[in-house]
Amino acid sequence: MRALRRFLHRVVNLVTKRTQEERLREEIDEHIALQTAENLRAGLSPIEARRQAMLKFGGVEAMKQDYRAERGLVFIENLVGDLRNAGRTIRRMPGLAAVIIVSLAIGIGVNTTIFSWIQMVLFEPMPAVRGAANFLMVEPRAETGGYSGASWLEYRDLQSQVPALRDIVASQMVAFNVGETGRTERTHGQLVSGNYFSALGLKPAIGRFIRPEEAERPGTEPVVVISYDYWQTRFRGAPGAVGQKLRVNERELIVVGVAPKDFQGTMVPLKFELWAPATMAPALLGGTRDLEDRSTRAFSLIGMLRPGATREEAQAEFSTAMAQLARDYPEASAGIGGEILSFWDAPRGPQRFLISGLAILQGVMLLLLLAVCGNTANLMLARGSTRQREMAVRVALGAGRWRIVSLVLSENMLLAFLGAGLGATIAVWGTTALRVAPMIGAFPILFPTRVDEFTLAFAMLLGAACGLIFSAPPAVHLARLDPQDGLRSSSNTPPRSRARKVLMGVEVGLAMVVLIAAALFLESFRSARQTDPRFRPEGVLLAAYDLSGRNPDEASEREFAARLLERLRSLPDIDSAAIATNVPVDLHGMPRRSFTVQGRVRTEAGQDRAITNTVTSGYFKVMGIPLLEGNDFAEMRDKTAPAQAIVNEEFVRHYLNGEDAIGRRIQRRSGSFAIIGVARNSVYDAVGELAQPAMYFSYRDLPEEQGEIHLRTRSGNETALTSEARAVLRDLDPMLPLYDVRTFSQHIERNLYLRRIPARMFAVLGPLLLGLAAIGIYAVVSYAVARRTKEIGVRLTFGATSGRIVLQIIRESLGAITLGSAIGWVLALVISVRVMTKGGVNLPVFLGVPAILLGVATLACWIPARRASRIDPMAALRHE
Amino acid sequence: MKQKTDVLQGTLALMVLKTLDVLGPQHGYGIARRIEQISGDLLAVNQGTLYPVLLKLEQEGAIASEWGASENNRRARFYRLTREGRKQLQAETKDWEQTAAIIARFFDAKAEDLP
Repeated sequence: MRALRRFLHRVVNLVTKRTQEERLREEIDEHIALQTAENLRAGLSPIEARRQAMLKFGGVEAMKQDYRAERGLVFIENLVGDLRNAGRTIRRMPGLAAVIIVSLAIGIGVNTTIFSWIQMVLFEPMPAVRGAANFLMVEPRAETGGYSGASWLEYRDLQSQVPALRDIVASQMVAFNVGETGRTERTHGQLVSGNYFSALGLKPAIGRFIRPEEAERPGTEPVVVISYDYWQTRFRGAPGAVGQKLRVNERELIVVGVAPKDFQGTMVPLKFELWAPATMAPALLGGTRDLEDRSTRAFSLIGMLRPGATREEAQAEFSTAMAQLARDYPEASAGIGGEILSFWDAPRGPQRFLISGLAILQGVMLLLLLAVCGNTANLMLARGSTRQREMAVRVALGAGRWRIVSLVLSENMLLAFLGAGLGATIAVWGTTALRVAPMIGAFPILFPTRVDEFTLAFAMLLGAACGLIFSAPPAVHLARLDPQDGLRSSSNTPPRSRARKVLMGVEVGLAMVVLIAAALFLESFRSARQTDPRFRPEGVLLAAYDLSGRNPDEASEREFAARLLERLRSLPDIDSAAIATNVPVDLHGMPRRSFTVQGRVRTEAGQDRAITNTVTSGYFKVMGIPLLEGNDFAEMRDKTAPAQAIVNEEFVRHYLNGEDAIGRRIQRRSGSFAIIGVARNSVYDAVGELAQPAMYFSYRDLPEEQGEIHLRTRSGNETALTSEARAVLRDLDPMLPLYDVRTFSQHIERNLYLRRIPARMFAVLGPLLLGLAAIGIYAVVSYAVARRTKEIGVRLTFGATSGRIVLQIIRESLGAITLGSAIGWVLALVISVRVMTKGGVNLPVFLGVPAILLGVATLACWIPARRASRIDPMAALRHE
Repeated sequence: MKQKTDVLQGTLALMVLKTLDVLGPQHGYGIARRIEQISGDLLAVNQGTLYPVLLKLEQEGAIASEWGASENNRRARFYRLTREGRKQLQAETKDWEQTAAIIARFFDAKAEDLP
């Protein structure tokens, strides 16, 4: 109680410091006056009386210190004093402070931005879903390694057979045409199991969600749940939206509820707007057999562990269940096992790619920040040595070691936190910028990253860590200072500190590692872009149509495609036109289908699979893929020719041992096809991939509701074809939207988008880091040189040429720099050999980067060295 | 070293309280004189050490202070005991006597007195 009152008094005294100080002075004066009067009465001379009184009172200053210690909170006062002092010091060096703060801010900002992404992928993978990171992917996996997805019937079986998982949720991504005739709009949604929303623990914004019984059997109430954004934009957030009808794929669905704000589905970063019961699939997808066919594996499954259950149990139960299914339904499930994966490890979607990329990026960026710290420490150390005298005076006046350390620390911490604050601002800006990054393409994508209190705490933590790191060397240096030496020695003698050079070397080494990593990243990205895809994307326009809403039969599908092609080919600007079901280099890859081919005997169990695309005649011409043997497919209206197939070179090599392929038959579930041609290998999933076996079938034999129109322009300006293509389709069918119109180059670019984010970051950060290293070297050398003015003056007087002096300074600094970069170079080499799987050492990068780095380093040394060598020797010698 | 000052401060505080109890309101010099008269050496050299103690007691609420006129008609700070200070003095006097009695008994005790 008493202690508390004393504390409160002290807090008050912090503010009323001045009046208290006056009071004490007055009391002391009075005390001494009274004692002097007493002494005078005792017969002493006035001067002696006062002297005795002072002696008796004791040391006034020491007492005042005690008094102050008693009065206030010394710690806070010192801190405030230190901070004020730090502020003054920083104001005295605005240029240096700006360099330090900005470089720290960039380092911290970038790290914080990446952290917010990692945080999203790892901890908050589904916005609006609590504990989303605890969901596991339940993935059937073919023994060939592909994640096939699950069929609906399989899902129903698994629900009861994996008791370790609480609710398994199934969802399938679908594209809907929403709206009235002529004004249809393509919107993406999910067909979901009945427990979808309850298992995710969501509450509707308004209305209700899909009831479990609504996803029990086909033919129940046609209901749909819409996203919050969709509700806001299409229904202006009106509560009356519930109960309204929505025309989806020519079907009327009743809106029963609105999903909570920010919820965007279970396949982040894809953003869905509609959710309908899975049992609506046949009605919405034109009589699809998704619900009955075990080999149509269209659903992805997620589930959460039951309390107490372990992931191993779930994995074991899942494997057992899949093995049982493989025995029960060998036709559809043979060779398909299962894997439980973490949510961030999802095989579809970019999480897996993101997390490894981001982890590397974060590591590199932390190294960058460390380099910035090294830079700052170097600058601080250089400055600190010019402040030796100041510190020596402080020590001589009685400042303790700890006071000196705290003085240096508060200066640096102030800088660090200013940097962290600015860095957090950069992170907020960066995160928002990435969030709203325009995502052209077939899929609506939204990365739900944000800067929250964790991210900010991370930024501040980084700031504090940086501050401590770069405070340590100067603090230790100054605290060890002997005041005698500090005062005696002229500030012109360079301190015998190897630390500065070591730091400079380390920093250059780090810069080397990061620059090489950046260069390799850019190089691999550039080569991915420049590698010949082995088809000709230039001059090709892509556009999609979809007849699925109207349940066409095969004949009408074929007829539609034939008429569409006829019209398109008759346009004057079009060189060639074709339709295909799939486009290479797509985000989700090309489908792989099982088959047997005549003349191949399989020894192992399971089936052969190859990339499959169904195309019309003219496809190879549009794509610029030469047919090495045989002929193109028959025309669409040709009723005589038997079912045809064309395979690629790799198919022949892999499955037919390179023997003659023409005339052999491929057997699929949909029929038997004669191979009539061999096409050159081309790229299917990603540029730079190894050759994959592929087979093409004819649209004529296997017509589909959906098609990607491929148009090759004559004029070279493929975008000009858009309106003509639209007009043609409108002419044929006014109710059908032409969607996802893009040039082939755009199509490729957009699928490189994810790769491009880190590449872009590196493209910005590489030069930035080079700049930082240069600034660091420049600053350190110029400080060192400035401190040796006298020595240089003496040399010049004794006849040294300025050239020699420049050379000597550069040589001294380059030693550390060369050693550092050599170590960094070796490190980068080791990393690149470990990480880069394909290709050898990239010589241009490993030779070019050091050349550039050393060149810049030399320049950074040369500028201050030259300036120093040009001084007037007399002036230099007069210099104190 | 530090402990010694603590002990000194503790006893000094008690002396200040007792002085104010006996003499009524006093300025710093008066208190110092009084303690010097009674305790001899304790404050002979470092009268200044009194002031941090006075401040501590004031911040704890044991004493209060106000400006007044000194013997030679100058402004001086007068300290007086508060009610709380009086309670504190009583309590500490009791404590002190107890402690002193115990210590005294220890010093008096001889080996053969123990059972």
